[in-house]
Amino acid sequence: MADIQSKTETAESTSRGPIAMQLRDVAVSFHGRTAVRNCTFDVAKNRVTSLIGPSGSGKTTLLRALNRLHDLTPGAKVTGSILLEGVDIYRGDLTVTELRTRVGMVFQRPNPFPTMSIYDNAVSGLRFNGIKKKALLDEAAESSLRSAALWDSVSSRLKVPASNLSGGEQQRLCIARALALDPEVLLMDEPTSALDPVATLRIEELMTSLKSRVTVIIVTHNMQQAARISDDCAFLLMGEDRAGELIEFDTTEKIFNNPDDSRTLDYTLGRFG
Amino acid sequence: MSDIVELEDSMESGHEMRDEIRRISHRTHARRVAVSRTMVALCSVALLIAAVPLVFLLWELIKQGAPQLNKAFFTTLPSTPTLIAPNATGGVSNAIVGTIALTIYASILAIPLGVLVGVYLAETESKMATSLRIIAQTMAGAPSILMGLFAFSFVVHDLNIGFSAIAGSFALAVLMLPVIVISSEIAIRNVPNSLREAGLALGAKPHKVSMRIVLPTALSGIVTGTLLAISRAVGETAPVLLVIGGGFINAWQPFNPVSALPLAIYQGARSQWPSQRAQVWGIALVLVAFVFVLSLTARIWATRKQQVRN
Amino acid sequence: MTQIPIDLHPDDEVVAEFNSATTVRTWYHYVLLIGAALFAAVSVGFVGTIFWSSLPVWLHHGVTLLTGTGWIGPAGPFGGVPMITGTLETSIIALALAVVIGLGTSIAIVFFIPRRIRNVVATLVELLAAVPSVVYGIWGLIVIAPWMAVTVDPWLNSWPFAKVIFGNPGQQFGGSLLLASVVLGIMILPTFVAISREVISVVPQDLIEASLSLGATRWQVIRNIVLPTAKIGLYGATFLSLARATGETIAVALVAGGVANAQFHLLYPGTSIAAWIALTFGESQGNEIAALMALGVLLMLLNFGFSLISRALVNRQRKLLAIV
Repeated sequence: MADIQSKTETAESTSRGPIAMQLRDVAVSFHGRTAVRNCTFDVAKNRVTSLIGPSGSGKTTLLRALNRLHDLTPGAKVTGSILLEGVDIYRGDLTVTELRTRVGMVFQRPNPFPTMSIYDNAVSGLRFNGIKKKALLDEAAESSLRSAALWDSVSSRLKVPASNLSGGEQQRLCIARALALDPEVLLMDEPTSALDPVATLRIEELMTSLKSRVTVIIVTHNMQQAARISDDCAFLLMGEDRAGELIEFDTTEKIFNNPDDSRTLDYTLGRFG
Repeated sequence: MSDIVELEDSMESGHEMRDEIRRISHRTHARRVAVSRTMVALCSVALLIAAVPLVFLLWELIKQGAPQLNKAFFTTLPSTPTLIAPNATGGVSNAIVGTIALTIYASILAIPLGVLVGVYLAETESKMATSLRIIAQTMAGAPSILMGLFAFSFVVHDLNIGFSAIAGSFALAVLMLPVIVISSEIAIRNVPNSLREAGLALGAKPHKVSMRIVLPTALSGIVTGTLLAISRAVGETAPVLLVIGGGFINAWQPFNPVSALPLAIYQGARSQWPSQRAQVWGIALVLVAFVFVLSLTARIWATRKQQVRN
Repeated sequence: MTQIPIDLHPDDEVVAEFNSATTVRTWYHYVLLIGAALFAAVSVGFVGTIFWSSLPVWLHHGVTLLTGTGWIGPAGPFGGVPMITGTLETSIIALALAVVIGLGTSIAIVFFIPRRIRNVVATLVELLAAVPSVVYGIWGLIVIAPWMAVTVDPWLNSWPFAKVIFGNPGQQFGGSLLLASVVLGIMILPTFVAISREVISVVPQDLIEASLSLGATRWQVIRNIVLPTAKIGLYGATFLSLARATGETIAVALVAGGVANAQFHLLYPGTSIAAWIALTFGESQGNEIAALMALGVLLMLLNFGFSLISRALVNRQRKLLAIV
């Protein structure tokens, strides 16, 4: 325990660069039952941080705490502190709406809004935030669709319903939709698990290129994916009491080649899934 | 991967757009939240408005109806008030007997056939089955007065039976039939296929599987649907208004005219005597109490069986 | 009027063995077929008998029925316009009331009420549906009519175009089209709430979370995502409620005033097709009965039409969500 805490304060973490989000002893519980706890690490800017671990270890629960999605769930309680650029997102001077324009999310199954066109989907975030100026909407649409590597194939049919796109394209549209607000952090919850290998590869390439623009935090149950695309890695595991906890956090290189904890090693060697 | 190359070009413009987005978002925030709060409040108000009529109705029912209920109310026949005795309304025993008789006869007609057709629809995939399903759903929503017209044409007139309990029961049976068909079909379809497959795997013939395994499992759902159908039939005035004749004695024989609780209310409400109009609340209270008990029983039964299944 | 169970889930697949395992038709299959045939016969008889009884009127007085404005028994002429306009007026106003209040109610039940209370609230609204029509009728006549005469009518009469919409101010009758519309609205509200609740609650949680993650407020999520996605199903709910409204007989018979006057002044008495049949049938003979049967055919067409449209819309909504 003490090892992990001291790690985040050593020179190694600051050498990774400026920090986007800080988690200190974050725990999430539902109706008193702890789902995940002991999460303390720093997410560095413009890098891809992956949350890995077997199912049930609390990775998605932790991710959803970062944009306060648990506010929706009755009985959910988030303790500890989560800082975005130094401001506590739960207790600081930051409204939920503002938080969510700065921390975007992409979900596991592509979920473009079915009644909207491609264009309307892309700019839906801006419209929710009160932006009506067509020039700004157009600019954001083009910029985000380009960032999602979708512009070339859809620019000629922006008014077409979003459901016309293939699965992989729909997911890239969801990424564009989140990027349109120009967030600082992009949360991705197993974004490729519902896609075919070709689409998966394209999105992985996209994530790597996106990090110069946003900080990416991705939950993945696919170890190889984490090894391929992430710079830093947080390994979570479900404990005896069925609560997930953070076991180890470090650069991906270290986690996969030379982890400190034996359980991390077991996981990365595929000894359990 | 030209898309990715273009990516680098678009990055320079990043921050001006971001700043403007944040600025407008911040500026409109208060208004957006206020609108949301107002609409949420309005929806909650709508919910209150929806619940209010029931509360007022029940309160009025109890307030005006309870005083009307006494032993004589339930056990004596109605009488007509006169100028000398303006409060001599008598009781409504004929209506009570009539309602019970009508319900029993209608159930005998509707329940077996309804469950049978429900089984048919659940187990048959054919154009005929689909058509019958659409017919059942449409008939379930049909105006009940049409059932009265049907019963008049067919039973009272063509069969020459005249105004009678059987005519009223026929009308009510036609009313109940589609409801029982639909709910039985749903109840049977809700039986997990694994049960059917297990029965077949043990070598039982399909019709035995249906009768011995599926139907008993679906029984609670079928009972729920039947209770709901009965509770609806008990309260209907229009179908019986046209055909039962409104007898003033404790009649239950199928071929004689009978009365019924909803009919008594309808007639009493239009009476010129204030005492009869007042008595109507008592009858209404009894009727509503009966219907509520049936509906709630059906609902509780349904949810409890659902929990057991889960 | 009780709720029939509403099944909006795709039909389960019937085990194929049931059809293919045995081509031997046992007595079981024959019994089922006889039942089905009987049901078909009843349904056909239902439509056919009423239509057949009304045939003389359609053949000889059809035009009068559809265009005449006066109804004089026992020999005629039988003009059905007052009934038709009355039905449409009361149904549409009732529908407007039910949709506005009902939509807010469904939204509140699905999204704002804590789960524990949700069942209680839903039961309350469903019990509204279980109250018999005749009880609504007496309640409307004895309780609401006087209340409206004192509270609502004077307020309505102070509107600028009151005389045009509502008729002569200050006159009070035993019943009015407005009263019938209000009572009718209360009666069809549970229908609308039951269906709209179902279609709103099956909008995928995914979409709601995605919109919230973009910074949408609760109302923005409902207005821009949930309602448009459920739109077709909501139209289905509307049409079914309209169907119910057209068929309501006794309550309208008791509170609309029972006068065959084709007019648009809401505070005046009027009637509807179903109410007129109920009121006039008892005293009528021969030709007049046939004319009432003819009105019944009209009612059937209206009601079945709306019902079938509603069914088609709800089916389309179901398919739409299956793709999503």
